[in-house]
Amino acid sequence: MTQLSKAVKGIISPEMAQVAKSERVAPEFIRQGVAAGTIVIPHNIRHRNGASIGIGSGLRTKVSASVGVYADTDSIDTEVAKIKAALEAGTDSIMDLSVKGDIDAMRRENLAAASTPLGTLPYYQAVSEAAQKYGTALKMDVEALFDVIERQAADGVDFLALHCGTTMSIVERLKKENRLDPLVSYGGSHLIGWMLHNHRENPLYEYYDRVLEIARRYDVTLSIADGMRPGCLADSLDGAQVQELVVMGELVRRAREAGVQVMVKGPGHVPLNQLKATIVLQKSLCKGAPYFVFGPVVTDIAAGYDHISAAIGGAVSAWAGAEFICYVTASEHIGLPDADQVREGVVAARIAAHAADVAKGLRGAADWDFELSKARKDLDWPKQIALSIDPKRAEYMRKTRSDDTVTGCAMCGKYCAMEVVSRYLGVSKVSC
Amino acid sequence: MTQVLAARAGRVTPEMEMVAAQENLDVQAVREGVAAGRIVIPRNIKRKDFQYCGIGEGLRIKVNALIGTSSDIEDVAMEERKLAFVEAAECDALMDLSTGGDIDGMRRLVLDKANIAVGSVPIYQAAIEAIDRRGSIVGMTAEDMFEAIEKQAADGVDFMAIHSALNFDVIRRLQNMGRVTDVVSRGGAFLTGWMLHNKKENPLYEQFNRLLEILKKYDVTLSLGDAIRPGSTADSLDGAQLQGLIVAGELVARAQAAGVQVMVEGPGHVPMNHVEATVLLQKRLCNRAPYFILGTLATDVAPGYDHITSAIGGALAGAVGADFLCYVTPAEHLGLPTEEDVKAGVIAARIAAHAADLARGNRQAWERDRQMAQARVDSDLDRQISLSIDPEQTRSAFGARDDRHDCAVCGADCAAQVAAKYFGIA
Repeated sequence: MTQLSKAVKGIISPEMAQVAKSERVAPEFIRQGVAAGTIVIPHNIRHRNGASIGIGSGLRTKVSASVGVYADTDSIDTEVAKIKAALEAGTDSIMDLSVKGDIDAMRRENLAAASTPLGTLPYYQAVSEAAQKYGTALKMDVEALFDVIERQAADGVDFLALHCGTTMSIVERLKKENRLDPLVSYGGSHLIGWMLHNHRENPLYEYYDRVLEIARRYDVTLSIADGMRPGCLADSLDGAQVQELVVMGELVRRAREAGVQVMVKGPGHVPLNQLKATIVLQKSLCKGAPYFVFGPVVTDIAAGYDHISAAIGGAVSAWAGAEFICYVTASEHIGLPDADQVREGVVAARIAAHAADVAKGLRGAADWDFELSKARKDLDWPKQIALSIDPKRAEYMRKTRSDDTVTGCAMCGKYCAMEVVSRYLGVSKVSC
Repeated sequence: MTQVLAARAGRVTPEMEMVAAQENLDVQAVREGVAAGRIVIPRNIKRKDFQYCGIGEGLRIKVNALIGTSSDIEDVAMEERKLAFVEAAECDALMDLSTGGDIDGMRRLVLDKANIAVGSVPIYQAAIEAIDRRGSIVGMTAEDMFEAIEKQAADGVDFMAIHSALNFDVIRRLQNMGRVTDVVSRGGAFLTGWMLHNKKENPLYEQFNRLLEILKKYDVTLSLGDAIRPGSTADSLDGAQLQGLIVAGELVARAQAAGVQVMVEGPGHVPMNHVEATVLLQKRLCNRAPYFILGTLATDVAPGYDHITSAIGGALAGAVGADFLCYVTPAEHLGLPTEEDVKAGVIAARIAAHAADLARGNRQAWERDRQMAQARVDSDLDRQISLSIDPEQTRSAFGARDDRHDCAVCGADCAAQVAAKYFGIA
């Protein structure tokens, strides 16, 4: 039985209890959210060592880091090192988006290594295997695609990203839209190419019940991926994107009816002034299903710094209601991230998530800020560093940017004038 | 004659013309903005010609960097390198906050080398010289303060942060509020300590007309220092901050009436849900004077990454009307920034400003993003490099990348290429 089916029946599962404990809410709150579909707990029944996290309304905003073998220089070792960096930096989940090499081995390695939920995008492996078998992914057959999905689910993957909503009528709409950049999503582009070449409807849509059947069997959470993700600001919220969101809404309903946990993936490149509308539309059309956004980046020109652009978009999106942020690294649009960029990407996404939790007034979120600010006022450096979002980095910066034997810091040097004012305000120590 | 007096007299100055040309605006719109006090163009009459910038309503959001020595680290050569970088990275203005070594020498060097607007905080020099001359900051006299201001104005400083909007009403509010982090503005703290010790009202508030006269003489733009800015999200929008903003509003009206260009400095640590109200209150209370914010930092918990917390807050604030973003570096709360930190701070602030310009519908900003998207579709790496926010960095990051379609995954007959042909972009 899936978490959703249990919740609907009034059962509080051990996973729900674990989520309730880590979120410091009543288990009944979690059960109701899972039953309503506004909370998902991606936890494949076969992923024994994975911890349970809840993603959804009323919970702490979560972040996900993506790794995977893409290039000839990548190996399982380089990617496992990135996973370690991501976990150390505090990611809540990992996605393995390998497109080549021994994808099965990579995934199994990840499942063993990740103490967090693991997600994958099976279409990548289907493309890779079809190319090996036939020399071209255009000859992929539908059975092979479902075989990959089944294999990944049976291995214990907790959530599967699948482009179930990218239908032929949406592809035609996309053509009419005259987008600046019609093809952005790697999986979506290959799927669309296959559909056009073979003159066939998207099999993930056509045989959606089959997808649901597999997902239900292993309690895999479905992450309905957006083939129409805008790849530049000018394409945001066009007809193709919105039409796909309408279809996704229908698929969310069918998944819930089948007892399958479901969330929806989102953009992408979105101007700041369109973020709230994007979230409101998703929430309305997809009936409160958790929204898993990729960034979003808020400008197209921040190549080399897209983790910052994405932190802006992620913070505002999460504040507006997105519950799950996929990180963007500094190497987005340029190349593949190294372990340092992975780490920085995770921290940037966590900053965005936390800033949003504070803005939303999520219970407990502001306590962290309060404690750190108190330590700052007390010039209690060990405590400031321990409470920092990335203590290692804070400690390193303090050591290299200040003489860490002083009470203040090198910014003000001996004119840490807060000590002047504190004397007169009758408090012991004050600092910026 | 100051820019604002010229504007009111119907005169278009070369500074207004340069601003109008940069922003692709009618010069009369710029002149009207300056006359009404909604736009300032910092430019001291003693300063050499440089790349002027307009700050305010209807204009591109501007970015300010901070440099300067401290008592712990007084490496003039490093500060000079920071200055060069700040200009290369397209900052619109910078402030020299030196408090260590030869403060006069550093300022003159910056004024000479910089080709953008230069600001300062004269109370720093007054306070530090008071320690040398009188043994303590609280020994500083009102004359010391005005002397520093006059000297720096005569040197050619284009805009000055001066904490006039701090008086005993504000301090009493602060004492009644019980803040988490009381006073985090360095200038504000110097003055608060001075006022409480000497039991005297803030001379920069009490003798505001005297200040205006100096500023008017050199056309120095007044940047009303935010002495009471919140230093933690818990302190945001409290009574003390608002009392300070109300006082600032009164002083803005007096400066505008006197023909002195004026803008207002703002926070600081502000939770995202307070940003819009903060900007709205400033615009309402301060007669739509330009708002110059530090950050704003969207959370307190990220020392080492405060350029990112500030990018979040700065973008939001810019989108709802803040006009001028002061950068925050990753070294904030930890120490004095290195050149690398300065660079990270500048780029993050520029991303925030640009994201806000896009949100405000700035046409030049949209055109740049459109061109970048086109360059990506065309796999035109050279255009991607030149359009990116940090071309040098992008060039080296691309390295030997070749964008010909040679992805080894799906072979020659690629499905993505089929789709690309269908959409006419292959």
